[in-house]
Amino acid sequence: MKVRINPDKCIACTTCVVNCPVSRVTPKFLGPRMIGPAYERFRLLGLAEDESLTYCANCKNCDITCPQGVHVSSINMLARAEQSKKYGASLRDWVLAHGELQAKMLQMIPAGLKNWGMLNPVTRHVLDKLGIDKRAPLPAFAKKTFRQMFKKINQPDLPRKIIYFPGCYIDVYDPQTGLDMVWAFNRAGYQVISPDAFCCCGLPMIANGFWEDARKRAKRNLTELAKWRNEGVPAVTGCPSCALIFREDLPEYFPDLVEKLGMHQLEDAQDFLLQCAERGELALREAAGLEPMEVIYHAPCHLRAQGDGLPGYKLLQALDGVKVTEANAGCCGISGSYGFKKEKYDIAQEIGSELFRKVRESKAEVAASECGTCRVQIQHGSGKKAIHPVAILRARLEPGNRQEGQTG
Amino acid sequence: MSRTIDVIVIGSGMAGLCAATAAARKNARVRIISEGMGCMAISGGAIDLLGYDNEGNLLDNPWAGLKTLAPDHPYTLLGAENIKTALDGVVEIAGRHGLRLKHAGDDQNPRNFRFPTIMGTLRPTYLYQDNIDEQTLANAERVLVVSVKGFRDCRPALVINQLRRYKGWADKEYVPLVLPSPFDEKGRSLSALDLAHVADRPQGRDWMLNAIRGIGKGFDLVLMPPMLGARPLSPVRDKAAETAGCPCLEMASVPPGVAGLRIREALVDELHDLGVEFYENTQIKKAEIKDGNCASLTASAAGREIVHHARAVVVATGGILSGGVILDPGKAREGIFNLDIPVPGNVDDWSEPEIFGKHMVTSLGVKVDSQMRALDKNGVPCLGNVFFAGRTLGGYDYAAEKSGHGVAAATGWQAGSMAAGLALGKTAEQKASGADI
Repeated sequence: MKVRINPDKCIACTTCVVNCPVSRVTPKFLGPRMIGPAYERFRLLGLAEDESLTYCANCKNCDITCPQGVHVSSINMLARAEQSKKYGASLRDWVLAHGELQAKMLQMIPAGLKNWGMLNPVTRHVLDKLGIDKRAPLPAFAKKTFRQMFKKINQPDLPRKIIYFPGCYIDVYDPQTGLDMVWAFNRAGYQVISPDAFCCCGLPMIANGFWEDARKRAKRNLTELAKWRNEGVPAVTGCPSCALIFREDLPEYFPDLVEKLGMHQLEDAQDFLLQCAERGELALREAAGLEPMEVIYHAPCHLRAQGDGLPGYKLLQALDGVKVTEANAGCCGISGSYGFKKEKYDIAQEIGSELFRKVRESKAEVAASECGTCRVQIQHGSGKKAIHPVAILRARLEPGNRQEGQTG
Repeated sequence: MSRTIDVIVIGSGMAGLCAATAAARKNARVRIISEGMGCMAISGGAIDLLGYDNEGNLLDNPWAGLKTLAPDHPYTLLGAENIKTALDGVVEIAGRHGLRLKHAGDDQNPRNFRFPTIMGTLRPTYLYQDNIDEQTLANAERVLVVSVKGFRDCRPALVINQLRRYKGWADKEYVPLVLPSPFDEKGRSLSALDLAHVADRPQGRDWMLNAIRGIGKGFDLVLMPPMLGARPLSPVRDKAAETAGCPCLEMASVPPGVAGLRIREALVDELHDLGVEFYENTQIKKAEIKDGNCASLTASAAGREIVHHARAVVVATGGILSGGVILDPGKAREGIFNLDIPVPGNVDDWSEPEIFGKHMVTSLGVKVDSQMRALDKNGVPCLGNVFFAGRTLGGYDYAAEKSGHGVAAATGWQAGSMAAGLALGKTAEQKASGADI
């Protein structure tokens, strides 16, 4: 691995320190400036790693707020990969990084049994010993995966096609939101293709130090996307973290792959739908007789990091019967698998406490957010149901056909 | 289209936040586009207006010093009334979100405040955050100077030694006190921000109040680092004097300065209430000019280009450090529209041997008219719908005159008002000025 990020753009202004959700709640983390650019100079000299590196949640608030454009979190992830390569990684981190693989292995087992197997107190105790906190809100497997359900949908034959990258969370835990997405694109005049070749975007592997595994996924996904790019078919995802990986991380971490296979920008599905609505392709007329609805929206950090505002929030604002407010409460704390880890569970809950309070105190009946694990965390911390903006879109536009009870 | 809006503000430092507030208050739909988040959050949280006049004399009344400034100084262009509107706006917003900002003296006779810092210096500033008046400071005979174990940036002995150099502070009796740390020995070295975060948490609140309980008994004044919460509203800050047993003043700190974060949070919360859109982590790469107006802005965001359209644009991109002003050998230009900023060809002439004096390099920037529109070399506005604010502007030396946040707030407010006026149709003021927009 030869990729390095120049730390010398950092002027040590401490803006990232002010905005780091982790260093706000624990002194165990040296902080983004110290662990990122400052420590990178020691790494270049071959000095030993600081153990607090593992406390970086890769939430990207340092990158979002840095006035000098330093990719602090990327420096940290590269350093973590090097550590993992040198010294190996824990079984716990392997388990959390490879949820996709486990879901595949368990595919033949009915969801009820899987969930009983995974979520019963004995297993949770064993997982706790392994380092996955027994209080952590592990999501339940859906009865069928999105891939399985998608194959059974009879889509109308539409001239325009769109590629949908569901992401693992939708596929394994929340297929209904994936179906809502297909419904929305059909309604906007697009027939959805979700190729079987797609696999995990690689983010959990990057965040846990499994660099080569992430690289294999990147190669497979980029190869598939290249096919569609050459045919001029747009590609979207409803998951901000998957989008961020394709747009920003893969070119940075695996430049050779991107050079060879090219980029296919995964667009934000919510933004795509919003633009369809603005072009008049998607009518946002709500079904008759619906009660007005209040929603509190949480902006995922990985969405904010992409520099294109909050399209999912705007989509909800465009619905007349929905009164939506933005929580404006910062990070939820979960950062993918970070908040499931035993030594980080309390940190994650503390980080999200302001958001939980705002959600709890809000008059809104549901919370909305594009990110699957943000939703898990919000439900866990606030006790209120959290759903994807496109699920709300469908519930408002065509309430009859939506199946409830599939969300994690 | 979703990416078309009334006013785009580029930059989210003090100038950008004030511009967005002023524009949104005029009912313009506003979008802030930011690459980072400016230096407000890491600053000491006092708003300087004017610490020294044009000849370098320390000012007691900053408003009186405005008269001494050059004709092209941003304050001279704005006039006292516009400056006051902006500062009143900031005070009002901070107040609404639970943060008290005040100046020394009273409304009839407003004065600068000489603000003790954790380096033991007295900084002339205007708006500060404590509910303490200068008379309490002047009359204090016994002063307790507090720090916390493990907080290396604040040394009571240094503060005391340095303060003794000042008239009015030389003859006080000082006692240093180092409080125990709320953290165990392991972990990073403490900053004022760490302590302030502790005070914001329910369990930490009790620790903080217990730590300062009764420490002020027998003293007239407690000087402490800014550790009483990082949020605009803090129950701990409100109870500090009563708990300590005498008036407390949080000194201005080095970055991360805590108190600046409070002001920033108040302003950002206000913008959320006003429905302003935030596009973060994105950089404007180019601007398209049509008929002397900015027609579109192209942003680079996570590996792709996004085109934004607005009827008016505020540029609050900061100075040399943040790319608002770009220096090349013997040349200077503004960062987005590439406006030429005239400078001496010989770089040696950009600075002076006296390090704390005035330097050409700290005051170079875009020249503007009273509406904050850039002027070409003939003194004619050259971009009809673009308004400039904050450190991107030339004609003031924030470091020498101590005017940074004040100029940022005042020019930001003006630029935002003008941009909203233009976007929503000419304002009476703009009509009266005969400006061709």
